[in-house]
Amino acid sequence: MPSLQLDGITKQFDRHTALHEVSLTVQDGEIFTLLGPSGCGKSTTLWSIAGLHQPDSGSIAFGDRVVFDHGRVNVEPEHRNCGVVFQSYAIWPHMSVAENVGYPLKLRKTPRAARERRVREVLELVELSRHAGRYPHELSGGQQQRVALARALAHPPDLLLLDEPFSNLDAKLRDRSRQWLKTLQSQVGVTTVFVTHDQDEALSVSDRVAVMDRGRVRQVGTPAEIYEHPADLFVADFVGTANILAATVVEADGTHAVLRVDGVAEPLKVPHTDRRLGPVRICVRPENIDIQRGADASHPRNTLTAKVDSQAYLGDHYRYTIRIGGTPVIVTTTRPAATGELTVSLPPEDIRVFHEEADSHEENHHAPVH
Amino acid sequence: MSTAPLRPPPARIPTPSPQRPRRRGISTNASHYILWAVALLVIVGSVLPVVAAALWSTPLYESGGHPTWDNFHALLTDRTWWTAVTNSVLFAALNTVGSILVGVTCALFLTRTDVPGRRVLTTLLLVPIALPGLVLIIGWAAMWTPAGFASSWLETHTVLSMPVDLYSIPGMAVVAMSVASPTVFLLCRGTLLSIDPSLEDAARTSGASPLRSLLSVSLPLMRPAITNAALLVFALSMEVLGLPLILGFSNRISLISTYLYDHWVNDAQQGLVSAGAVFLLVAVSALLVLRNRLVGDTARFTTTTGKPTGVRILQLGRARWFTAAAIALFLLVFVVVPLAGVVLAAFTSILSPFISPWSVLTFSNFSAVFENPLYTDSIINSLLIATVGGALTTLAIAVLSVIAHRSRFRFRGSLQQGMLWPRMMPALVTGMAFFWSFALLDRSGAIRAGLWGIGIAFAVRSLALGYSAFYPALAGIGADLDNAARTSGATWWTAMRTIVLRLVAPAMGASFVLLFVAMLNDAEPAVFLVTDETPVLGLTMLQLAATSIGGTVAALGVIQMVITLVVLGAGRALLGVRPRA
Repeated sequence: MPSLQLDGITKQFDRHTALHEVSLTVQDGEIFTLLGPSGCGKSTTLWSIAGLHQPDSGSIAFGDRVVFDHGRVNVEPEHRNCGVVFQSYAIWPHMSVAENVGYPLKLRKTPRAARERRVREVLELVELSRHAGRYPHELSGGQQQRVALARALAHPPDLLLLDEPFSNLDAKLRDRSRQWLKTLQSQVGVTTVFVTHDQDEALSVSDRVAVMDRGRVRQVGTPAEIYEHPADLFVADFVGTANILAATVVEADGTHAVLRVDGVAEPLKVPHTDRRLGPVRICVRPENIDIQRGADASHPRNTLTAKVDSQAYLGDHYRYTIRIGGTPVIVTTTRPAATGELTVSLPPEDIRVFHEEADSHEENHHAPVH
Repeated sequence: MSTAPLRPPPARIPTPSPQRPRRRGISTNASHYILWAVALLVIVGSVLPVVAAALWSTPLYESGGHPTWDNFHALLTDRTWWTAVTNSVLFAALNTVGSILVGVTCALFLTRTDVPGRRVLTTLLLVPIALPGLVLIIGWAAMWTPAGFASSWLETHTVLSMPVDLYSIPGMAVVAMSVASPTVFLLCRGTLLSIDPSLEDAARTSGASPLRSLLSVSLPLMRPAITNAALLVFALSMEVLGLPLILGFSNRISLISTYLYDHWVNDAQQGLVSAGAVFLLVAVSALLVLRNRLVGDTARFTTTTGKPTGVRILQLGRARWFTAAAIALFLLVFVVVPLAGVVLAAFTSILSPFISPWSVLTFSNFSAVFENPLYTDSIINSLLIATVGGALTTLAIAVLSVIAHRSRFRFRGSLQQGMLWPRMMPALVTGMAFFWSFALLDRSGAIRAGLWGIGIAFAVRSLALGYSAFYPALAGIGADLDNAARTSGATWWTAMRTIVLRLVAPAMGASFVLLFVAMLNDAEPAVFLVTDETPVLGLTMLQLAATSIGGTVAALGVIQMVITLVVLGAGRALLGVRPRA
């Protein structure tokens, strides 16, 4: 059963449209992530679910309970029974940890004994039992974030909403917290909507990801689908690093296409389902470009040799920039290559082909998004 | 008109009990609408009867009458009115120029140079803002008038003399400067402290001397602040009543405010006075609207402390001693001597340079105060209004502010404007507004018979002051904190009550302290509302001082001053209350 259903949500701020008919379905018990650059509408979507923003039109249902319907139904946030973790944590500084966590229960008139039991239980879950009597300013950032999570889980909620909860933590702690959240969520089993602009975070914690851009959902899929089969150039470019090259489809039969890539002598035969011919853009991930070393350099077809423009050592891998047909291309490898020149080949099975959409709303595909 | 059914009086002070949201049947939105309507009716709506009274042939509390321009005609053809307007403009202009010169100079020297004793000098300079306005005027009158103690002493014992006659327009402007200069000082100091010191460093590296870089870089950057201060001082000068009443009346120098006062109290020409009030309201509002246009309304909320880190202190060398002496002399004449005058006058049976004050020390002025029921009633009434009224107004400001800033209420913007609106209103107009409102809506006179009438007028008048002390704290509380409460299951009112208002409690305390002091000392609005049963301290003193500067009024002044300083001191110690421009 879908736990959350958004249908045609539109929101306009002055003349700027923040959400264009956003429709999403979140399944029971999954971690569903809204991923996109800032201003893409992911937070507006989350606040619409929480009831803190009112969309202009569309409908939102939690299971079979409609909480918003074109403004005719608009359930107040306090009656939606969501648990929300804010980016700022929003822990009330005048209440102790236990009071913060107990607040939702108090509002629900839970008897004192049951309330105290539940607060203990939730604090144990987030490993903060020893800090129940502390005040927020006595806690570290990571602990505050767990208090916010405990408070969001206390009532318990029908839906857990997380707004960039890890963005204020340092890199190490952020990484640990992601793992911890994923484990915790599978224990609790609550349906979770997670908002982030960090693609690593989205890929590592989510069951499914919706990539958003300028108020539209560009693709919904598992992390692997999003990364390996991006639906369009925006998704390809935003999630992970993508080399984007100009090419021309000269033959296409519905399963494969033959491409001429600018700067590559031999045509490439790649998996592709479209039959249209003409100019396209192709995307290939840096780690998928094969570096030909030493003796086997001349073996496969469609190799090319290029001068290394720049290189960098990043600890666990090396990164080289070369040019193919004038376009800068990034290549990564775990083993250093000989300096000066690089002989590479483009693996056909890892190349994704994108036609220029005539009715495209994406005026600037390659605008820097980070 | 008399047969029309009476509508209920405008609710006292908009103070919803925080329990209201728990009551079934009133949704959050409906409660917002009700409070909004009551607040705007009391704050803004009360002005309409003044306009009506100006355009009606008979007083509004009498039946009959018809619309007429006669009041305006009478006003505009009255030559004494135009004399009063001219005098007011002259007075305001002199006061503005003098205060800007003194205020800006003091701001530059006391915040940016190594003048010795800066802290003491700054504190002394700011004393007049904290004190009730009347106290200082009484002190000036006792010391610096031609027959005053200090001027006579100077003439008898030295070759010096007081160059300005206080019973003249320039003289009144000099007295007004002692209160207006610190206002200018505060507004300019904030700007000076927030100017990035690297701007002056850039001038230094280009070859400018320290003083030159201060004058050629920072002074021009203060221009918005100076414009702001000038317009504010000018607008406030147009409406002062106490000063011209005490100093100008005896010499028949009439300003707009005294013209209105005189015609109301002595001639009972209420239509004419209402027309004059409309004129005053339009003039003052126009000035303040102009100021908001030029400066932006938010300037009101800039902290007066700025960021003290990174302020460059200029080394003045030997000149610093001279500068300190000049400022100290100014403060001696403008602040210390007048205040000493009040205290001396209060504790002596006669204050004269020909008799040593020590030989005539007495408590009889105080016992005279405590034996006269008019004075004791005034003190008790003012304390009641300040305590109860201050508390209720603080609560009202808090509730209206959260609706104005933390809700999705449709007309919240008008509520924000509404709370600042009383700043636009000259105090006399506020008083007259409530006089006519009560006359129309409360025929029984029940509200005016008690302290509620004056209390409401004082409350509305101090609304903007309390709001400007309260708002920055409210704005500093992240919206996520109440959103978190809402998503946890709290209704809007519960979220406000349990989270937001809890967190701004210290600011509410600070707001209360400022309101207490303002309402304890306020006088002007009471001119129109006072009855024999409801004397208040400020007005009683004003009326007494207008006829004579005796020991009694000085004793009242000392009492008023002591209460004010004790409350402000406690507020500062407990809540960090600072004087505000």
